[in-house]
Order: sequence, then C-alpha cells, then structure tokens
Amino acid sequence: MPRIKKKGQAGAAKNYVTRNQAIRKLQISLPDFRKLCIWKGIYPREPRSKKKVSKSATSSTTFYYAKDIQYLLHEPLLQKFRDQKALEKKISKALGRGDVGDAARLEKNAARPEKTGKPRYTLDHVIKERYPTFIDALRDLDDCLSMLFLFANLPSTSSVPAKMIDRCSRLCLEFQHYLISSRSLTKSFLSIKGIYYQANIKGVDVLWLVPYKFNQRVVGDVDFRIMGTFVEFYMTLLGFVNFKLYTSLGLKYPPKFDQVMDENAAELGAFTLEGLTIAGTENGKQIESSTHKPDPKVQAEVDKVLKQIGNGEANDGEDTTAQDEAAEEEKAAGELDKFEVAAKGGDVLPQPEASDSSKRSLFANTTFFLSRETPRQPLELLLKAFGCKRVGWDAVLGDGAYTTNELDPSITHQIVDRPSTQAAAEASEDAEDNQTSQKLAANRRVPGRVYVQPQWVWDSVNDGEVREPHLYAPGTSLPPHLSPFVKSVNGAYDPTMPLEGQEPELEKLQAGSDDEEGEEDELAEDMDVAGSDDEDEEGEDAFGGFSADEDEEEEEDGDASEDDRQAELEAELAGGAVNSKSGDKKTKAKEDARKALAKKSREEAEDLERAKGMLSKKKRKLFEQMQYTNNKKSAEDEKLRAKRRKLEKEKQRKAKA
Amino acid sequence: MISKIPSKTPGKKRKGSIEFVESDDELSGAPLEGVLSDTDDGSSLAAEDVSEGFDSEEIDNDEHSSDAESVSSTSSFHRHADYKVTTDANGNERYEYADIDPVYDSDDSDAQEQPNTIGDIPLSFYDSYPHIGYDINGKKIMRPATGDALDALLDTIEIPKGWTGLTDPQTGKPLNLSQSELELLRRLQMAEDMVPYFTGVEEKMPLSSAPEPKRRFLPSKHEAKRIAKLVRAIKDGKILPYKPPQERDREQNQEEETHYDIWANEEAQEPHVMHIAAPKLAPPGYDLSYNPPPEYLPTGEEKKAWQQTDPEEREKEYLPAQYDALRKVPGYGEFVKERFERCLDLYLAPRIRKNRLNIDPNSLLPKLPRPEELKPFPTLCQTIFKGHEGRVRTAAFSPDGEWIASGGDDGTVRVWSLNGHQEWSARLSSEETVNIVRWRPNKDAFILAAAAGEDLFLAVPPLVNDATEKASRDVLDAGFGHAAHNATTDGNNAVKKDTPAKWTRPGTKLEEKGVLLKLTVRSAIKMLSWHRRGDFICSVSPRGQRSSVAIHTISKHLSQIPFRRLPGLAQAAHFHPSRPYFFVATQRVIRCYDLQRQELVKAIQPGARWISGFDVHPGGDNLIVGSYDRRLLWHDLDLSSRPFKTMRFHSQAIRAVKYHKSLPLFADASDDGSLQIFHGRIVSDLMESATIVPVKMLKGHKITSNLGVMDVDWHPRHPWCLSAGADGTLRLWA
Repeated sequence: MPRIKKKGQAGAAKNYVTRNQAIRKLQISLPDFRKLCIWKGIYPREPRSKKKVSKSATSSTTFYYAKDIQYLLHEPLLQKFRDQKALEKKISKALGRGDVGDAARLEKNAARPEKTGKPRYTLDHVIKERYPTFIDALRDLDDCLSMLFLFANLPSTSSVPAKMIDRCSRLCLEFQHYLISSRSLTKSFLSIKGIYYQANIKGVDVLWLVPYKFNQRVVGDVDFRIMGTFVEFYMTLLGFVNFKLYTSLGLKYPPKFDQVMDENAAELGAFTLEGLTIAGTENGKQIESSTHKPDPKVQAEVDKVLKQIGNGEANDGEDTTAQDEAAEEEKAAGELDKFEVAAKGGDVLPQPEASDSSKRSLFANTTFFLSRETPRQPLELLLKAFGCKRVGWDAVLGDGAYTTNELDPSITHQIVDRPSTQAAAEASEDAEDNQTSQKLAANRRVPGRVYVQPQWVWDSVNDGEVREPHLYAPGTSLPPHLSPFVKSVNGAYDPTMPLEGQEPELEKLQAGSDDEEGEEDELAEDMDVAGSDDEDEEGEDAFGGFSADEDEEEEEDGDASEDDRQAELEAELAGGAVNSKSGDKKTKAKEDARKALAKKSREEAEDLERAKGMLSKKKRKLFEQMQYTNNKKSAEDEKLRAKRRKLEKEKQRKAKA
Repeated sequence: MISKIPSKTPGKKRKGSIEFVESDDELSGAPLEGVLSDTDDGSSLAAEDVSEGFDSEEIDNDEHSSDAESVSSTSSFHRHADYKVTTDANGNERYEYADIDPVYDSDDSDAQEQPNTIGDIPLSFYDSYPHIGYDINGKKIMRPATGDALDALLDTIEIPKGWTGLTDPQTGKPLNLSQSELELLRRLQMAEDMVPYFTGVEEKMPLSSAPEPKRRFLPSKHEAKRIAKLVRAIKDGKILPYKPPQERDREQNQEEETHYDIWANEEAQEPHVMHIAAPKLAPPGYDLSYNPPPEYLPTGEEKKAWQQTDPEEREKEYLPAQYDALRKVPGYGEFVKERFERCLDLYLAPRIRKNRLNIDPNSLLPKLPRPEELKPFPTLCQTIFKGHEGRVRTAAFSPDGEWIASGGDDGTVRVWSLNGHQEWSARLSSEETVNIVRWRPNKDAFILAAAAGEDLFLAVPPLVNDATEKASRDVLDAGFGHAAHNATTDGNNAVKKDTPAKWTRPGTKLEEKGVLLKLTVRSAIKMLSWHRRGDFICSVSPRGQRSSVAIHTISKHLSQIPFRRLPGLAQAAHFHPSRPYFFVATQRVIRCYDLQRQELVKAIQPGARWISGFDVHPGGDNLIVGSYDRRLLWHDLDLSSRPFKTMRFHSQAIRAVKYHKSLPLFADASDDGSLQIFHGRIVSDLMESATIVPVKMLKGHKITSNLGVMDVDWHPRHPWCLSAGADGTLRLWA
C-alpha cells in the first residue's frame, strides 16, 4: 500500500512561502527584506489556489515564490546587511557601556568603510543580474526615468538628502544630453500631470513623465525611505545606462561638468561632451554642439562687431551651410542603399523610410529665443533634440543660452506665452528705435520673426512637420493639444476626425431628429421673410424670443406651432399647397428610417441571443465579459460624441448669429 | 466738582503722573472748569463705565485742556511731559525729570547704576544735548554738571576716596577706584605681581638621595604595546589621517560613481518561466492634455460626481481640465503620491499573468445560418386534439402523414385526422395505461402497434381503403401459420423453453375494432421501435431484467431476447436506419450492437445521469439523446463517444427527442411544458461538423402534476410537429 501523502508536503504548498517565513529563513529584518525585494525585483505572487498553499486561515497573507527566496539566500547583499546590523549592535553596546569614544570611532569608520571593516555595498551585480542585456535595461527604464526626474525636482529634506537630488539631476541632464546628440526623442505631450516624453533608444520605446517646475506637494503618507530605496537602485542603473549610451555614441562618460555654470542654472549647458580620445575624427561633430555656445557675452560681442561690419548674416549662413554639408555627408554614409530587383521572380523586401531623419532635424535651420515666461528646460530639450542648434533665452532663465539678447538678428522664432501682444504693424513702426535699445518694451515685436506659443513646438514635434505658426500666434486661442500616444482603434471615438464619419446610424438619426426641430424653425422663419410686412415683424418678434431662450423648449414649441400656422396662412394666400407637408414628409421618412433601424437592431439582438445559446458556458461567460467592457467603452465614446455634437451645434448657432 | 472726575480717571491709570496732573488742575482750576464741564459732562462718565484702559476721548479731552491752559496761563509747566523745564545756574533751560515711582516691577535696588545704552558711538554726538544717553528703561541720562558751577562746588568739598580724575565713558561720571583696585594697578605698574612658587636658588641637600631606578632608563613596555596597537591599526587602515569633511565627501562621490560597461559581454538569458515583468503604466490619453478637445471636459454634474466619490473609488484619479495657455498650468498635486503608489505596486502587488484575449468577441460566436435559411420549422399551434381522459402518453404520425395515433392513461388508443377529428378509438385495457403507440413505417400496410402494460397490440384501424387493409391483415396473420408450423416441428423445445412472448388474438371485442394481434411479454412495455422494413419491432420494458429488450418478428410471430444480461436498466432501443445495427440505451450508456455479427460495435457515453430517450438520425451517423437531468445531447458517432454538443435549455427533465425524417430538424419535449425545435444540418463533408441552431420554443401545454409534454413526433414530410401533453391534449404545430 502506498504511503499516505501528508498535506502541505508537495505541490503548490511547497512552491510558495509567506513573507514571514521568508524573513525567518533569510534572518533579516523586515525593512532589510523590503530593500532586498526592491533591488532584486522580487514581488509577491498570487497562487492559483490560495487554499492549497496557505496553512493559516487568514486570507490576506502575501506569498512569495519559494525559488525567489532561495535565490535571495545567496545574495552578497545579505552579508552586508548582517554586517551593518553587527556594527549597529557594537555601537549600541559601546554607548551602553558609556564608551562614547569607541562608539564614535566605530561610527566614523562606518562612514569611511572602504578602509575599515566596511558594511558597504554596490548594486552593480544586481543590475547585471536583473538586466542581463542592455535591451532588458532599456525596457525597464520608464519607471527609472520618471522617478529620477521627480527626485531631481524635489526639495532636499532629511529623508531626501541634497546629495541624492544632486546626483539625480546630473544623471537626468546627462541622459538628456544623450537624447539631444542621438536625436532619439520621438514624442512629447503636455499633460495636466507633467510633460510626457517618449524616446526610441535602440529600438525600445521609453516613455517617462517629468513634473512641471513647481514645488512638489507631498500629500498623504508617502514613505520616502521606500522611494529612496528605489531611487538608489535607479541611480545606479541610469549611471550604467548613460555610460553605455555615451560610449555607443563615441562620447566620454561622465561628461565634463562645469560647477560655476551649474550654479548659474545653466543645467544642460553645464556639461561639455567630449569625444573618446581613442575614437577617430568623427567625434568633432559631437563636440561641436557644446563648443558652439561658449560664452553668451562673447558671442554677443562678436555679433555686434559683425553687425557693424555688415556681413553678420553671411557668416551665419556660411556656418549653417557648412554644418549642413557635414550632416549630409554623414547621412550619405549611414543611409541605406536602395536594392533594385535585377531579375524577375525575386521578392521585394521592404526597407524603412528615410523620412525619419528629416523628422529628427525638424528645427535644424532655425534660431529660437525663449521669452522669460516660457518653461526653458523642456523647450530647450525639445528644440535641441529636434535639431535646433541655437536656442537663446532671457538671462532670467539661467546660463548657457546661445544668446540672451532678444534683438539678435539671427533669431528666427520667438516663443512667447503672454496674454496678448500688440499688432505687428504697430511694432514695425518703431522698429528702428527698438534696434538701438537693449530691451524691448513689453508686447513689442521684432519684425521678420515668427512669434508662437509653446504648444507650437510640441505639436510640430508630434506631427513630424512644422505646424502653421499663425494658429499658435500669441493671444490666439490654441487648437486642442492631442496626445500622440493614443493609437486610433477602429470604432473608437477619434477627436481629430469629423463627427459624421464615426457615429453609428442610430445615433445619427437621433441627432438628425434633434436637428429637425431646429430646421423646422428655420424653415418657418424663411417663410416669414417671404410674407407680408406686418406679419414679418410679428414673426421676427417670435423668432427673437426663440433665439434668446433656446433652452426653454416649451416656448420653442409654441413658436414653432405659431410659425406653422403662419406658414399655412401664407400658403393659402399664395394659393399653393400647404408647405409644411414637405416637412411632415421629411419627418415621416425619418420616422420610418428610425423604425426600420430599431427593427433591424432588434433582429440583430435576437440573432445574437440565439448564437450565444450555442456557446459553451465558459465561452458564453467570456463573451459576456468582453461585451460588457466593449459596451462600457462605446458608452463613453457615445457620450463624447454627444458632447461634441452639442458643442458644434452651439458653434454653428453662434456663427449664424 | 465735576471737573475732577475726568482728570482723576486717567490719572489712576497712568500711575506716574497722578499727583502732577492733579496739582496742575488745581493751578489752573478756574479757567479750566468751564471747558471741561462743557465737554465732559456725560461722555466721560459713560467712558468711565465702559472702559478701564486709555480712552481716546479722554486723551482728546486732555489735549483740549492743555491747549486751553497754554493759552490762558504763562506757567512753564507742561502737562503730561514727565519733566519740568527750569533754568539752571547759567540761565539755560534745564529739564528736570520726575522720579520714577518704585512699584514692585522696578525693584532693582541691588542693581548697579543703570549703564548707558547708546552703544559704541562717540559721546560727542550728544554734545548739543542736555543728556548723554539713555538708561535701560529709556530714561535720559543727564549730563553731569561741569564748568564753573562744578569748580565752585569742588572748592567746597575735599577729594573723595578713590578719586582718579577720570571719567567713565559709559556713564560720563567720574571714575572711582577702590583701594584694592588701586593696589593692583600699582603692582602691575611696578611689575611686582609675582607669586614665588619655586625658589630660584638650588638647595645643597637633595630631598631624597635614592638612586634613579632602572625603569627610568628603560622604554615603557606598556607604551610600546599601545604604540604597536596604533601602528597595527594604521597599517590596517583603521586609523586614518584627518581629512576635512568636504574633501572626504568628494572622494566618496568619486568612488561611488565608478563607471564601466556592465554589459560589455552580455548574454541574453531567458527569463525564468515564473517571472512576470512589471506592467508598464498606460500612456496618457486625450483627456490628460492641458488643452484637450472640449468634449473631454467634464460637465458640472460629472465634476460634482467625481468630487463626491471617494478617492479610492474614482474611475480616473484626475479631472480633465483646460488651460488656455501653458503658463497657466499649475503643478500636479498628486505627483509624488502617484509615484509612490507606483513604487508600492512594483514591490508589493502580487503579479498574476492574465491572458487577455485580444480578439473580437463576435469571433467567438459560431457562424450561424441566417434565419431564412433555417426555415421551415413549426411556429404555431395548428390544432388541439382533445378527447383523452388523463394524460396523453404517446403520439405518432402515420407513415403517409395523414393520421395521428395517440395513447394515454385512459387505456385507449385513438386515431385522429389532422383536422382534429377523432376517427377511431379502441380501449385496450381498463386499468393499464397505453405507454406507446408506433406506426409500422412502410406504406404498403397500415398497422399500428400499441403497448398497454405487458401487452403489445397490433391493430389495423379501419380507415384506409380495402386493399391496404387487406394487405395489412395479411401481414399480421402471416405469422399464425408459421407459428403453428414451428410449434408442430419444435414442440418439445417450445415446451421446454420459457417463451419470451405469447402471441394471441386479443378477443372478439377488440378484433371487431381492428386490433388483430396481442403479444404478452413478461413486464410492462415502455418503448417500441420498428425496423425500417416493418418486419421487426422491438419492445423495451425497463423492469424486465433479463428480458427487458425483446425483438419480435411479425412475419413469424416470433420473439427473441437478444441480450442475456444488460448492465443497468434498459431505457430505449432503436434499429439503425440503414445498417443491421441495434442501439440500446441503458441509464447512462448507449450501446450499439451489430446484429449480424452479434457483437458490440460502440458504447456511447452522453454523460447524462439518466437517459430518457434517444433517436437516431435518418442518415445513421448522429444521435440525439434526451435525459432526465435536463440535457439534450448530440452525438456524432464518427467523432467520439462523448457528446458533440450539449444543450441545456430546459428547466425540467426531457421526456422525448425526435429527428425529422426528411428535414434537418429535431425536437425535444420536456416536463417544463415546452417543445424546443432545433435546426440540425449535417454536411456530408467529413471535415465539417454539424451545425445545430436552436430555432423555436413551442409553449402551450399546461403542466399537470409536474409533467408537461410526454412525447413528440414529426410529420414524415412536412415541418409539422406533434406533441402529447400531460394535460390530456395533443397539439399539432405547424
């Protein structure tokens, strides 16, 4: 007879351990376990059957995969945690003895652990384990970047040391430099939460969120120790990722960091990218971007001199043409060759389009100036990442600008976010005066320059082509800013498309019937116009009432009936048939169509019911669930369409009035 | 004296100036009286009641009075200033200050003279003022007398003790030094301030003449030990030279930021099977834009609803908002919180792999033929046949489709025409119910088989033309000769064997009616089924144990029991429509036997608890099975022994199932009083399985004592359906 199997000895019961069991096995404290889990990327699991796994009756136990915990047992960090614990014990013992000197020595040595007993760790091996390949690391970069960009914008507190913030912001800026020089930024989106960026690095799409530059409000119980643990890991990760990215471009990492410039809020400008010494000549181009803006003051001086001579423009043009040539050469080397089919019978293999690169150098031949009310950091990143070499800004916004002189003649675009600027004609009148003065008066424009609102940059970048600037002129109401991340699903509501194409028939009919009432009124009104003078007046009065109180339906109806009666009278006078019949016919047709549609939908519903009857129970459940979610989505879409219809109607009315 | 009241009241409050003011009043009493009495009669009294502090009105009054006074009197006294101006010895103005009333606050008799508080500024600033600074209470410190007046004074007095002739710059007063201080100064001047602890003189005799011990010349072992320890510590790096903290920090930073290519020799590893990567956050949609299309903005109601719901229960954690310029966009308050929650999700949330089917739900639905293609099928109750007393147990269409036979609890068999008229009836038994009637399937004869209890009757209802009737009678009577012949030849055997059935004439009364033959088996017959040629009929009597299934040969009047033992109670049996197969259903299993080879071909397991009946498709490859546990099962004999489709649309047990002979229809009858009509098309292509579509539910039969529809049959050609109800009616559906 086989031995009776005991419960909990094999199978799922052995595969999972509770958190407490794990802690006991690892012999570490709960906070240490938490740290370890965060760094090693170990997360609780949901066993398929909790009842089989759990020995206790509590339903809220968290389970870890037993193999994960076993894997943690060999973790070198575990030893470090234990050493740390031992040291803490030593210190507390020394303090208990009253031997303050000893405790101080121990603590001091702990602060300089590299030479002492050292409970000190690095997370390098963890990163190598978690991300065996670089692509793996890139896939997990979303959270890393969002977190580091947040921490770079936090104020320093006891739980968030200034050093950490400093390092975060440096890593972020270095990463931004990579984005600029590799032109890998693809999309960006201004949301109410912050600014979303998407970059395509080595074929991996990375999406992250950067908060607006405001003091972050910490609400609720946010545990910064947990966040700090994550940030510690992410900092190490981004350090390695940056290194890899820089070296892949042939750049030296870390880039040269100018402390003074950084203190003057130069941000991106504080770094100078250098080519690797071993690498060849092609690095010159990379360096160029940073050397291009050595000192704004000197640049301004040079500009002035050049202007006096009178060939400032020519020089500038030369410069750009030289750059273009270099870029073209480079492009030619890196471009794909076109494979023509030589003999018949071969398959045609598709090749990626070259248009991508043109999109990446969207602002290549432009010079931007940012007014002081615009957000400098995101604009600088975006413009530079899309090919703009010369971005100047007001001196208030910090160091590192191409020019701080608003009147620099090389500026082609100026980004303004002010309520309203005066007409350009007015500005051109006293343009001569402005040239001489250093600062422009508020709301004055320099002629020959495009003034746009910041959204223009984002919309242009997302569209891949420069948008028409007049839509974004200062003071005008902007077109809606749409998320570039939404993929249009067939049947879902798309705000960019006209409404007619996307509404289902039933809805269209209903909308039509709503319109009908309005139309009838209009019809009546037209007849009034045709009628005699005294009636006309009366009619106008009535119509005036209608247009004033659109919402009061009763009144509207009353008007309509009144108008009908008038129309009949008129028709009688004219001797023709009663005109309103045509309206009736129309409504009847509509009614018929609606009825037919209703019938059709009913039949469809019956069919569906029959077909559903033939499914197995499992499949039917699945089907119903899917339908539920779909219905929910379509209900949302319907609501959006209804809102839009209403808005459009209002707009039409306004236009008519 | 009314005038005194206003002056007294402020006086009480302003402690220091009481007497002064009073005296002042007395001085200028007469001219003041009128003024004060004018202004202050009631108001000051009222003010006294109202407030205890300074009253602005009273102050006004005071000022009024002071004005009046300055006009009227030439006195140099000023009211309300706490000093008097007098002329000094030189004839200059001199300010005399009133003494401070020593209330307990100012009880500082121990304290020294108030020092000057002007701070570190030259005293010359005060040269043009009568005072030289302010004491700690803000009082002016008056300049001490100088010049001629002082000289005169000096002449009169002798030099006081400790007089130095110096002035203390802080107070401006003469600096006096005490005797001891003077002595100290003198000593310092003379450099005499030395206390001799040691003599400078070497003594001749030492205090101790002991020789110097050796240890004074040997290096200390203890110290050597300590030094060794230190050396070791330094060697080990436990003791480090001091470094300023900034430098240390920088070093540390540099060490932290060691950069190298960690992915220099990367090897792709398959992630563990159980590893589930953290899901990414959803990208932002249109409504998250700072300037979304207007239709995405919430209406007032939606906004209110959002605000009123609990933050945990909100569908979206944000409210779409529109800002007409980028500069107006505020910071997002929940940013840190959302990041934190994401962190928590990353390390605390259990991850499950959920297979999300990204398919169109409609693709799940089977491809169904259009309803028009499914037609014809019965839809309406065409005729109701009434006449039976009690339940109608069974009903059947005649092979030509013109007659309907039925049998019920009243023991009668009735034959009806399609219009509802009862054409023929016969009472087969007075106590037993007629459980089943079945027509012989061939058209050359018109024979009805009916079973009541243990008896099986074969009748020829006198409704057809004579030729057919004669042919029918011949078919039934043919066996008598055969039986007689057999009996004569195998007489001995017949006696020995217990015959499975007795073939007799039913009696004259019934014979007149047309019931020509009677078979008696051992237990009550529940089911009958004809062979397609009409020569064999099988009867099933579930209680019959060994002899529960019997096959009767009409032409020979012979009954056989094909099975010695059946596992379980036999429920129904049918002949295969084209091949020599025989199906027998027990409670759970349907077995298919080859009659020629006498072996089991197939066992079909519908999975039902208790099979109530089944029917074989005219094609012969499909079965439908009805069961008492509400299931209707379709079996494809070629596919498997398990059902191809299970249909559970009835709420009560299924009593009977039936295929249409020529149309792709089948029906089942249930105790819930309804018939369900299905379309079941079989394609000859082996690759394609049958399409089964439910088409109609026929409701009309009343449920009496938990029984609804007892039997169902199809018209041989038309899509007409006949049902026998427990409510005593038959219904024809067309």
